[in-house]
Amino acid sequence: MSDILLEIHDLHANVEGKEILKGVDLVIREGEVHAVMGPNGAGKSTLSAVLTGNPRYQVTSGSIRFRGEDLLALKPEERAWKGIFLSFQYPVEIPGVSITNFMKAALNAKRKAVGKGELSPAEYLSLMKEKMAFVGMGREFAKREVNVGFSGGEKKRNEVFQMAMLDPVLSILDETDSGMDVDALKTVAQGVNSLRSPEKSFIVITHYKRLLDYIVPDIVHVLKDGRIVKTAGRELVDQIENGGYASIG
Amino acid sequence: MDETLKDLTTQSYAQGFVTDVEQEFVPKGLNEEIIRTISRIKDEPQWLLDFRLDAFRKWQKMTQPDWGHLKLPPIDYQDIIYYAAPKKDKDRPKEIDPALMETFEKLGIPVGEREYLAGVKDRREVAVDAVFDSVSVSTTFRKTLSEKGIIFCSFSEAVHEHPDLVRKYLASVVPAGDNFFAALNSAVFSDGSFCYVPKGVECPMDLSSYFRINASGTGQFERTLIIADEGSRLSYMEGCTAPMRDENQLHAAVVEIIVEKDADVKYSTVQNWYPGDAQGRGGILNLVTKRGICRGSGAHLSWTQVETGSAITWKYPSTILKGDNSSSEFYSVALTNNWQQADTGTKMIHLGRNTRSRIISKGISAGHSENSYRGLVRIAPGADGARNYSQCDSLLIGSNCGAHTFPVIRNANPAATVEHEATTSRISEDKLFYCGQRGIPEEDAVGLIVNGYAQEVLQRLPMEFAIEARKLLQVSLEGSIG
Amino acid sequence: MDKQIYILGRDSVPEVITLDSPRDLGMILVALPGTSLRQRLEIDIQSPGCEVELRGVFLCTGQEQLGFDILVRHSSGGSTSRQLFKGIAGGSSHTEFNGLIYVAHDAQKTKAWQENHTLLVTPEAVASAKPQLEIYADDVECSHGATTGFLDEMEQFYMRSRGVPEAEARKLQMISFLSPVLSDLPEGLRDELINSL
Repeated sequence: MSDILLEIHDLHANVEGKEILKGVDLVIREGEVHAVMGPNGAGKSTLSAVLTGNPRYQVTSGSIRFRGEDLLALKPEERAWKGIFLSFQYPVEIPGVSITNFMKAALNAKRKAVGKGELSPAEYLSLMKEKMAFVGMGREFAKREVNVGFSGGEKKRNEVFQMAMLDPVLSILDETDSGMDVDALKTVAQGVNSLRSPEKSFIVITHYKRLLDYIVPDIVHVLKDGRIVKTAGRELVDQIENGGYASIG
Repeated sequence: MDETLKDLTTQSYAQGFVTDVEQEFVPKGLNEEIIRTISRIKDEPQWLLDFRLDAFRKWQKMTQPDWGHLKLPPIDYQDIIYYAAPKKDKDRPKEIDPALMETFEKLGIPVGEREYLAGVKDRREVAVDAVFDSVSVSTTFRKTLSEKGIIFCSFSEAVHEHPDLVRKYLASVVPAGDNFFAALNSAVFSDGSFCYVPKGVECPMDLSSYFRINASGTGQFERTLIIADEGSRLSYMEGCTAPMRDENQLHAAVVEIIVEKDADVKYSTVQNWYPGDAQGRGGILNLVTKRGICRGSGAHLSWTQVETGSAITWKYPSTILKGDNSSSEFYSVALTNNWQQADTGTKMIHLGRNTRSRIISKGISAGHSENSYRGLVRIAPGADGARNYSQCDSLLIGSNCGAHTFPVIRNANPAATVEHEATTSRISEDKLFYCGQRGIPEEDAVGLIVNGYAQEVLQRLPMEFAIEARKLLQVSLEGSIG
Repeated sequence: MDKQIYILGRDSVPEVITLDSPRDLGMILVALPGTSLRQRLEIDIQSPGCEVELRGVFLCTGQEQLGFDILVRHSSGGSTSRQLFKGIAGGSSHTEFNGLIYVAHDAQKTKAWQENHTLLVTPEAVASAKPQLEIYADDVECSHGATTGFLDEMEQFYMRSRGVPEAEARKLQMISFLSPVLSDLPEGLRDELINSL
């Protein structure tokens, strides 16, 4: 068996004083794709927010270890430098900042953190070009302001583009399928699938089966009322599709 | 973000050094004798002395305005030295003191033309008039410019070499008694830049004035006069810095711009006067009157300003749109941090038919600072078809600062439209978290977001100025969050 | 929200209203033709949970000198205020709208919104606006907008090309301009305003 990448133990978390996660346990190994499914309000998005250190959410007890290191002690950017990436359910608009400048700031901060020098403009541009082609974006895309005036599908595609640029170890896709038509979904899934490797792991958070037809998980969890109530193989997806969440747990 | 908000820190102000150079001063204080002395040192004609004395008498009857949203420290006008100039070497009066050259080089201001002659072509050519305290020490590229008939020199030289032009246009836009600080400037102004672009000439390079305050206990009172004759084009830039001192120093300038028929002037400022320290000690009091007139039809004047410096800024670059179909824009970014105060904006006076104006103001307040936009849009009865659009946005960083918007709209024409919008916002935690998740630390994220917020204005600046302005915004925000 | 209607010059309008507990306040100020006065109104919101809805409609057709000095002061956070003033300046009237939204230090989570739109319909009329924001708290949503303008000519042409006479077209445009502030008025008052156009 491959090495453990992420280990969540008895995790409790609040948002605005209300307990959302009520004791989550989860182990993710290198190269695995996990799906976290569950009804609305189960705590799926809270889990992604807590993993990435969103200050709006408070962890009240429990632990998260990433390659054995205490993740909760780290700031959001430090977690990003360790290789954790979140594809946001609602990507944020940053007016006036081009995607080119935004990614340059992100990449160079990470390189600095790991003791590498900044990329030269030429290196950076060729990387941008490669990854834009990878997610099927036109040239004008690089000049656009981050998420400003993007359609739902464009925003999600931009998230996958950033994922490709930052080359994370653990990618969390939070409801990436919401607000997307089938074609956009296929493009995104293709992008994600080609990033899969024995070293990289994914957490795919979704309410519906749809996305999991394209990104096929190794392990499926059902999160209900702040706890993981069932863990099984990919056959669990069909069980949910047929019987709904009421049939689980 | 509030928890991480840090009030005080040492703000880096790289231009805060003092040049050790022997200077001559007039005695401290302000009276007719001082004005006569300044005029005598500059060997001025009688009409100019009369102009000064008239302004001084007007000023004596005026009181300092207090309508700004500012807490102005009391200014003792008798405790200021009104003229300070580096001493000339008697044996070599034509040469520039190497210490001054060094100062401007250190500030990144090319006061020599040699670097271009040596074939360094990675920068665009810019002609510079460098003003050190009360005198202009060097004006570059004069020969190249004069081949096209363009006059670019210090104000003092213009008085001697082009008295007719100076006399015709001086105080034609900002009369001596216009306001308290303009009257003071008219009485004691020392030097500044003069520029005339003749009919139909497109200025082949950007012109620039750089103002440096060096001496302690002095004020700087420069006067700039720009004339763009019919159909000419000009891009003009202004920069300024001063040493770090615990005292406040007064800067009361007047800029007048005359834009004739179909001429086009773009005036850009990156204002980086010393803003005072993190406790609010010291800093420049920047009390400035800038005004242009679009005299002829189709004239165009564009103001772009990036204000990061000064303890206090009181400044309203304005345009009188007299010619039919003339137009003007005001693009402004004003950033205040620590205990800085800014009350800045514009006036657009629409007199001619089908005149157009556009105001884009971006205020950024951090620390304990106060930042106000103040503006006037006036549409006169004859300005049929006039249009104005104003957008004033404020960004607050932290909860100890203030951001205010005080526009006045006065429309007396049923065939004119005026639109004004203003919003107030802060840097949302969502934005910071999104950047953080991508690996961008908070301080960098704030800089990135603020630059994005100001982008609409920054993109108007000439390239090199824009790069400098971006750096300044980042540096000036240091310590606004921890 | 129920809105109290005040006819300026006839009804007495409180100059200062203090909200020191969570409550709703709805007011409509109406200036009928012939009203010359300065109306001062200060609403001081000292409690969270308040909703303030302030509207104004004015119609000047003669030599009116009409001014509004409106101050909405958010002394406490967590409340919302909305202002919408619309009016028509005709004849040789002078109208002035002075509106200040003040948000005190620590009045976080304030939402304040102010709009003032005036139509100028004669060459002799003058409209002024001073929409002001004075903000001392960062976690707030505040905005103001002001416009002064004239009747859209394309719109007019469109109606006339459909056979609507010019005077009628102008009247329809004015009604359409005022409609957001007319909708809450009782029928009788609404008709009175429309008939004076």
